[in-house]
Amino acid sequence: MKPIQVADQPRLGLLRTTRITVDGIRYRLFRTSVTVAVIAMAVAFLMNILSESLMKRAVAHDTREQIARMHTVHDWAARLTRPGTPEEIIASLSRAEEHDAVYRETAAMAKLTPEAMAELHRSAREAADILRFFDDLDYARRRALIHAASGAGIFERLGTPTGFEQFKTALAGMKSVRFIMRLNDLTRFLSAWPKTLARIEQVRQGRAQAIRNVDAARGGRTILAALAETGGEFGQAVRDAGFAFDAQVTAPGVADRAQRILDQRRLEKSAESILMLQAIAQRRNVVPTDVTVAMMWGLLRGRRAATWYRGRLGQSIDTLKTENQKLARESEELKKNDEQIRKNNEQIKLNDEKTKENLHTIREKLVPASDLTPERMTELARHRNREAALARAERLTVGMGRGWMGLGERMGWLLFVSMLVCVIGISNAMLMSVTERFREIATMKCLGALDGFIMIMFVLESCFLGVVGGLIGAVLGSLIGLGRMLAAFGTTFMASVPVVDLLAAMIVAVGLGVVLAAVAAVYPSFKAARLAPMEAMRVE
Amino acid sequence: MSEKKHEMNATPPKPDHGRRRVIIRTVGLKKHYDMKGVVTEALRGVDVEIYTGEFISVMGPSGSGKTTFFNMIGALDSPSAGRVFIDEVDAAQLTAEELAYLRCNKIGYIFQSYNLIQYMTALENVTTPMIFGGVLPDEARKRGMELLDLVGLGERWHHRPIEMSGGQQQRVAIARSLANQPSVLLCDEPTGNLDLATGQGILEVLQRLNEIKGVTVICATHDHRMLDICDRLMWIRDGRIQRIARRDELHIEVGAIGGETA
Repeated sequence: MKPIQVADQPRLGLLRTTRITVDGIRYRLFRTSVTVAVIAMAVAFLMNILSESLMKRAVAHDTREQIARMHTVHDWAARLTRPGTPEEIIASLSRAEEHDAVYRETAAMAKLTPEAMAELHRSAREAADILRFFDDLDYARRRALIHAASGAGIFERLGTPTGFEQFKTALAGMKSVRFIMRLNDLTRFLSAWPKTLARIEQVRQGRAQAIRNVDAARGGRTILAALAETGGEFGQAVRDAGFAFDAQVTAPGVADRAQRILDQRRLEKSAESILMLQAIAQRRNVVPTDVTVAMMWGLLRGRRAATWYRGRLGQSIDTLKTENQKLARESEELKKNDEQIRKNNEQIKLNDEKTKENLHTIREKLVPASDLTPERMTELARHRNREAALARAERLTVGMGRGWMGLGERMGWLLFVSMLVCVIGISNAMLMSVTERFREIATMKCLGALDGFIMIMFVLESCFLGVVGGLIGAVLGSLIGLGRMLAAFGTTFMASVPVVDLLAAMIVAVGLGVVLAAVAAVYPSFKAARLAPMEAMRVE
Repeated sequence: MSEKKHEMNATPPKPDHGRRRVIIRTVGLKKHYDMKGVVTEALRGVDVEIYTGEFISVMGPSGSGKTTFFNMIGALDSPSAGRVFIDEVDAAQLTAEELAYLRCNKIGYIFQSYNLIQYMTALENVTTPMIFGGVLPDEARKRGMELLDLVGLGERWHHRPIEMSGGQQQRVAIARSLANQPSVLLCDEPTGNLDLATGQGILEVLQRLNEIKGVTVICATHDHRMLDICDRLMWIRDGRIQRIARRDELHIEVGAIGGETA
């Protein structure tokens, strides 16, 4: 038998295959559009999730410091007025490191040796972990394990034999729950708990004493007023009492913030007086009862409005003073008339009350606010706006996952399922394509096309669609995701948009689209390549 | 038609070159299709030898196994039993790549329904087999234009099948089948969808190819004008060869083909 020389059955150049593929796509535009749409949707879904997650991560990162600073004043105000519950002490100790100011401060106030302090620190961390474990648990499981105990009471309960037994039995019955430490370690912790509790009490006492010292320096002022002072004496007194309240960084920042809070309160009080309510209502064209604090702050963002407001404050003070003078004159007149003495006395009393009220309003509500310049008012309004945005951002970024690109575990599962659906959809479209083109494929085979060529043709076509669909989907998904995030966070966070990360995510998404399309085309193209050329001979 | 009758009987047969060799041979060819338990026997044992340079017509009613027979000898399908030898090589022993090579270079196909690629121009349709055969694009384009000129479609090389009539499409298909200078042309009802005049043109082309270039032509057809130009006729009926005869052995009259009947 003579062998057939297969010579150089050529691998068709990529360029030619590409041209043939592109022509084929143009010819079947409608169906390829459907496939492109499927890919675009899947990629848009992925991109939407990625962009939202990336944006959240970026915002969380950018605002972490500012949010911490926002809380600082309130933290200090609490620390300088209350020694704290055992749970709070555990929480703050567990967060601190050995070189932190809080650590040294606590050791000094509670008069603990370094070893004792280290032991307390370790126990506090274990206690904090245990508390967090129970906090994360759902209600049913928590009840089964520790009944209604909470906070330090949990340790009390677990310290009793029956409590511990119930805990152990219930835990053994829960297959999906794993306690954070071995039961031996837990027992060790619980036996040391009384000593730990005693030390915590020591800390409390120490802090209470320090607070009493601070109270002396505070005088009669509120804590905020004391913190807001610029002289530095109160700060020194706080340091003398043992608190780690450094003069360089913490004290000035806290003072600024405290002063701001005080000033904000002054302005809010001024808006309680009827005259100012009416002024705002007039300016905003609403009924006085509809005026809110938010409205006032919104007004004060503009300099002209702030100037107007201050003017009206002065006006209101004058109005009330004038009214007082009028009332005084009226009272004088009435005193002179003998006949109506009783009625007049009542009227005089009313006048007196009104005068007092006006004086009160002037003194408590209007004058403090009128000490502020319009520039200060505008500055306060802007700060408040920023802080509200930060608080909102803090709330929104709480549930963030820590995985790749900020995604959590559950989201990964969701994405996997959606990718699977996408692959199946594309596979279906490609199978339809193959079925419709069997004549063409058979003809090609009659002309000498290799099986591999047919496969490459289909996979290549699918890849093209993947690129196009991927691009469309990536752009669409990013826009939607970013749009939603900016709407949720507010446009003040425009600067936080992580452009580089987003571009990287888009490349990944488009790449994924191509891979999906290629994978989905493998089975249909395999079937296509195997079609026997005899199909072409069949006469319709 | 009566003049035709004289011509048919008067044309002498082609000279018989003593050293003709067999280009396609089938031995005991059988094929059955099994569809969900229903077995259809398409070919029940076909033995035939086809010589180089021959023009052979295959005739038979539909369902007689004509198409199946063509599939076998064109290396488009494999038999259930028996063997097909193309150029003395058993087709069943060939790998997929060797079969592709065969279809690309040795055998040309012409179908009743043209089977052109709809989104390619006429020239691209003709040059596609050349590209598969490894011809460089410029050379392929040149040869493609020559072939289109040969079938008379030189000016329409840039048209797509949808812009051409049936006859023109069939001519493009013929040009395509000649792309790699095959030794065998398999034609399945080449004039089936065409009007009389166009069909005549096609037949002339086939005749020229057979006589001048020495291409073996195997035609399945109902068209009696094929009788003018073929060398042998083969009747297939019920999956078996009813009769093979040389044309000059037959008496051909209008309405009937006489001679020895089966």
